[in-house]
Amino acid sequence: MAQNDPGNGNLMEKKLQGFQLVAQEKLQAILCSIPGKKDLILEPALIKPLEHICTASWLKLKGIQRIYKHDAKQSLPRSADEVHIYMIRSVLGTYQTLLRQLQPLATVETPDISLKMYHIICVPSCYTYYQTLLEQAGLWGLVELHHYNWDFIYFDQGVLSLELPNLYECLYLHGDNSPLPAVAQSLRLLQMICGPPAVILSFGSHSAQLLQMLQALGKPPNSTNPPDYGAWLIIDRDKDYPSSLLTPAIYAGLLLEVFQQRAGEIVVDNSKNKISSQRVELLQSKQPKAATNASKSISVRLNSASDEIYGDNRYKHFAQASSLIRAQVKALGLELQKLNDMQLEEMHDYVARKLPKLTELKAKVLRHLNASEIVIQMLGNFRRLQTLEEDILNNVSRKRLLGEIDELLTTDGQRYNTLRLLCLLHHCAGVAPEELQLFARNYCNMFGHRELGVFQQLAQAALLPQLLPEKKAPTKLLANLPLPKFQQTEFQANANRLKLLTSCGDGPDGAATSKGPQGVQSCPSFVFNGTYIPLVAQLCSILLRANNAEDLSSKLSMVEGLQLHLDSSSSRQTPKAYAAQQRTPPGAATPSSGVDADVFPLRLRNLFVFVVGGANYAEIAACDFISKLTGAHITVASDSLMAGSDLIAAAFSN
Amino acid sequence: MDIQFDSESYWNRSSRAAFSFDDEDEVDIVSTELPSNQWENNGIFSDDSISEASFENSPALNHLSIKAILSEEALKLVLQEQTLDERVIHKGVSPEEELKLLRRQIQSTLYSPDLEVTAQKLLQGKTAPLEMFRSLHEKQQLLDTLLCNGGGHAVVTVLLFLKRTLNAAQFHGILKQRPKALEQYLSYLRESGDVSSHIDLLQRFGRHQEAALKQFQAALSSEDANTRKQHLQRLVDAYASAGVGIIPLYEQVFHAALKMQLLMEKESSASKLLGDQPTPIELLYVCCQQNNNWKEQDMLKPISPQRFAADQQISPAQYEWTALNERAQAQAYADLECIFERVPTWHPLKSKQFHISFDLTLAVVRLYELHAPSTVLQLFLSKMGNSGEKLALAQKVKCIKAVIDAMAGLKQQQELKQLRETLPERSEEQFYCENALKALQSKRWTTDNIKLKL
Repeated sequence: MAQNDPGNGNLMEKKLQGFQLVAQEKLQAILCSIPGKKDLILEPALIKPLEHICTASWLKLKGIQRIYKHDAKQSLPRSADEVHIYMIRSVLGTYQTLLRQLQPLATVETPDISLKMYHIICVPSCYTYYQTLLEQAGLWGLVELHHYNWDFIYFDQGVLSLELPNLYECLYLHGDNSPLPAVAQSLRLLQMICGPPAVILSFGSHSAQLLQMLQALGKPPNSTNPPDYGAWLIIDRDKDYPSSLLTPAIYAGLLLEVFQQRAGEIVVDNSKNKISSQRVELLQSKQPKAATNASKSISVRLNSASDEIYGDNRYKHFAQASSLIRAQVKALGLELQKLNDMQLEEMHDYVARKLPKLTELKAKVLRHLNASEIVIQMLGNFRRLQTLEEDILNNVSRKRLLGEIDELLTTDGQRYNTLRLLCLLHHCAGVAPEELQLFARNYCNMFGHRELGVFQQLAQAALLPQLLPEKKAPTKLLANLPLPKFQQTEFQANANRLKLLTSCGDGPDGAATSKGPQGVQSCPSFVFNGTYIPLVAQLCSILLRANNAEDLSSKLSMVEGLQLHLDSSSSRQTPKAYAAQQRTPPGAATPSSGVDADVFPLRLRNLFVFVVGGANYAEIAACDFISKLTGAHITVASDSLMAGSDLIAAAFSN
Repeated sequence: MDIQFDSESYWNRSSRAAFSFDDEDEVDIVSTELPSNQWENNGIFSDDSISEASFENSPALNHLSIKAILSEEALKLVLQEQTLDERVIHKGVSPEEELKLLRRQIQSTLYSPDLEVTAQKLLQGKTAPLEMFRSLHEKQQLLDTLLCNGGGHAVVTVLLFLKRTLNAAQFHGILKQRPKALEQYLSYLRESGDVSSHIDLLQRFGRHQEAALKQFQAALSSEDANTRKQHLQRLVDAYASAGVGIIPLYEQVFHAALKMQLLMEKESSASKLLGDQPTPIELLYVCCQQNNNWKEQDMLKPISPQRFAADQQISPAQYEWTALNERAQAQAYADLECIFERVPTWHPLKSKQFHISFDLTLAVVRLYELHAPSTVLQLFLSKMGNSGEKLALAQKVKCIKAVIDAMAGLKQQQELKQLRETLPERSEEQFYCENALKALQSKRWTTDNIKLKL
């Protein structure tokens, strides 16, 4: 079954890197349409992703004279013959701040239609009402708007990101789908480059909407290349929250838990990181030494081609990865010691040929050693956390779990991570409004009254229960009653149907095989220490293993909300309906009736996965595992890569 | 602008400041190309400088041209979709085509608006004139078409147009019938920072809880402490008399925030130690710092830790943990006894009882991290019931006496003897160990053992 051709895979990776070329063409088209001496003023957050598109010299070639960082507090003076090009994210707040900055122009300058001196490029798209706001600010005619979507940025082998960090917040917390059309456009570009897939499986309302928008954009011109992907899988983040909320056990996943990530790079800083900044400083046992160690932060690019140490360890269990890194440091140290025992001539040769490579490698390994040591230090009692998470997943004595989360809040309160555990508990086992009320009170004591709004925000995304205006006696009674064992939450029902929970029920053997950090992993649940299989990985595996429509339907028909979109017909249908359609006896379905041959088994064994609202490295690693197991290629793409704390942090931005 | 590639210092420099972002110090961009593997620390736009690393030159891409991945036709389409305004006629268009374009434009501006085309354009983020959608029916139709197609920012565009061209009653009527549009519009108001309109609309549509929350946030975000207090006071009063049921949590927090604001105003010495808006726990910490009598619980003074914790509904665990940390930081270990050993209020004649609201292990570990002396650690360790756990923990925090206690509890004579050998001669610990051993040996003849024999 596995007719995996490595050449094919390489070519595809190359093509995916080619998104950069298209992004350059698009940027060039905008820049070259603007005449004059041009200065580019960038929103700081855009700098890192833009590095993936072009270099400063490339920009100079396109007529940019100087590049500035945009400062929201201070406007940049412009001399008469200069053209200012601002580049910002399409975030209303940012846009309005910029308009306010430019406001004084309205009274000073008279519009010259032929030559506009101010331009604003909005990434990824310029919302249509921005024009209205521009007019209201009195800047119509003085400022020209553009939109620029850089589409998919190639981070690493099999990993793409659109770098739209606020998509989760917009879609799931605010019910605002403004950024979605830009995503649809990027998917269409993917269709142009890699060809349309035979079938698309979608799960969730945003995914379905995205496909609807994709269709509304019209058929792309026929690709000259043969199609690359056999199927696409598009899934909403809220269909698999545990993958984000659980703490991953793999190296890349934990790096993202501890270090800030921007555009496929993490920033390793010895004095502060994502975890330490979540704690209340006064209650830290070690008071951070202020400015005593001015160690410069180092960035590590999460790309296996440029960093072989990362490439070797990215999807390994953390314990394994960190011991491998330590062993490598030792081995390199020994290798460098050889130098002492060498003859002069040998030494000469060694220094000239081998040494530079070795020192470079050593620098890389030491960076990872440093990073993994900070991870160990930050996670503290990791085993306790993992046991807690496992119990939450399997809904083992809910009351005790609540108590433990509350104790964690008191003794090691982390702004996002503690809340994340409660969200996980609610998702898996349910939290009553009264219980939330108690927790929220303690939480506000810890982190301030101003965080009160967070609970409503998270309830919006169904990560917490809605608080109710008055106490209802019956619900309280119910919560106190011992729940019968067979009662399942919706999460558990679905997780059981799709066999995602690997550490419960079926005896110790199922879990034991995948649990050990060493030894051969036999199940993608190793990304969560053998407790849970990310939904995307399971769906990929089901898609790749389905022998026919019937087979697929039997596995998926119990789960509501899954839809198949076939290339041949523009309609969408459930896997069950598709199977029924395929089942119609050959006599009834004359060749002219339009029933195409079954798309399963997939002829092309490459899958493209898109998570609407942020993917994570546990999912990517699990998909990588499935692809190795089945000999397929799986590309995981999303609007951004997020750790669980980033997801919770989205509820705090207001 | 030539830089020598082979000079060693060039490679060793962590970042080549080829470009400065400072306004005064403007340097031209250095146009040097680097091999792609030299990317580290040299992001083209490193935070304060701009240098020349490149992803562009990666070997994989050197052999790839845009033509190999995208047909000319497709590329043209992509670029054309990127432009915002299609009404601009580009150079090089033949007169006939120009005429066609103009005719179409006139048609769409002066006569019947084309619903589908306008919706499509808006969805793609392109400029489309809305002025000819004049009848209510047309306006509604346009909005519904967009909502049906997924909406996005185009919905906001149309809503802003409707708000401008319809009166409030009509506009709100339209929102009322379309919850999705309402959601989108609320999200727009939230982001635009128009707080009062946002709250108005929430209240108009009966979403009082969200409105209350929004008002609370607005109150807290006012810069000046005095206005903050006034806003909070108004909010608390309003919801006390409004008659709309408010979520009990919100009510509690509103009250607590107001109380804290009033306290900070009164006790400016305490609040000076903290930022403008401390959290209750931070203020509790300062209260602990300023408290000089831990022997008695003072419930009268508003900044006594016990009173403050009660006022702010700080849980016993949070109170104890904060006090433990503060006292240990201040090295006032004697006070810890007062915090954790209390005479039960319901039975004042009874002797003191040790009570702790969180896991003892956590307390011991934290005290150890804060360099508490071993007598203090021993005090806490002595409260642990399970000798096995106590032994492990005592060894972890290197509290010898507690190790001895635990071993004695487990009747580990051999281990105790071994331990005695390792302890310094004539030290206090050694005596302690010997005593423990003696006690163990004499205990052979306790009633327990006799019973066993019977």
